[in-house]
Amino acid sequence: MKIKTTRFGELEVNPNDIVTFAEGLLGFENLKRYFVVDPGDSTLILWLQSTEDEKVAFPIIEPKIFKPDYIAKLLPADLNGLELDSLQNAKLYSILTIPANVTEMSANLKAPVVINSNKKVAKQIVLQDSKLSVKHEMYKQLKMFIVNFSSDDARRTSYEPSIALEAGDFKSTNVNLNNNRTLEAQ
Amino acid sequence: MLVLTRKLGESIAIDDNIKIVVVQIKGKQVRLGIKAPKETKIHREEVYQAIQDQNTEAVQANMSDIARLGEELKKK
Repeated sequence: MKIKTTRFGELEVNPNDIVTFAEGLLGFENLKRYFVVDPGDSTLILWLQSTEDEKVAFPIIEPKIFKPDYIAKLLPADLNGLELDSLQNAKLYSILTIPANVTEMSANLKAPVVINSNKKVAKQIVLQDSKLSVKHEMYKQLKMFIVNFSSDDARRTSYEPSIALEAGDFKSTNVNLNNNRTLEAQ
Repeated sequence: MLVLTRKLGESIAIDDNIKIVVVQIKGKQVRLGIKAPKETKIHREEVYQAIQDQNTEAVQANMSDIARLGEELKKK
């Protein structure tokens, strides 16, 4: 099917690559259906593009790229909504904010997007950990990663916008099931 | 909205499994302890607002900024 997008023009999208956010994203509750666009540029940034509003696309990235020790502790309730029977099928992304001064870019570590690519359902999950920031600056770490892997550039020279729903395995992004929790709010 | 008055150390029960205790009162601040099943999500309201603001800011990203970012990232 063809889907119009403001940033990438008209894309041919396999209906199987469309995922449903039953609750939408915070502030975008009316938009439920998205797909991931890999523009294949050097930034390693992917886009979560709405099928229902061509203007709405969230820049996203795998947090392990800039923060290898990042842990998203999901609660049982989070998993229910995702129909996850195995963490193998889940992919984890941080939403990026990219201001005009691009070196001040930041990632939202507090509320990552988890996609169950098997069941085509996804959710923005607000993590319980109060130390996680919604605006974690990470330009330097991203640059370090890209400079270190620049010899690997050949892998990413395809310029056609492609739909990519596979991106790294879940184990290495350290998603843990959290069975202990602190219940005192300060 | 149901409004209840509670003293220090007193609590409120919600359903059979959620309990909110007034742990400390200090000037204009109230410290609450919350006992709830582990599947219950508990957040300060402003956390949701901050995430909503962040999402709204994130979709403003335009391709010319991304192109510039790409250039910056490639510089040694």
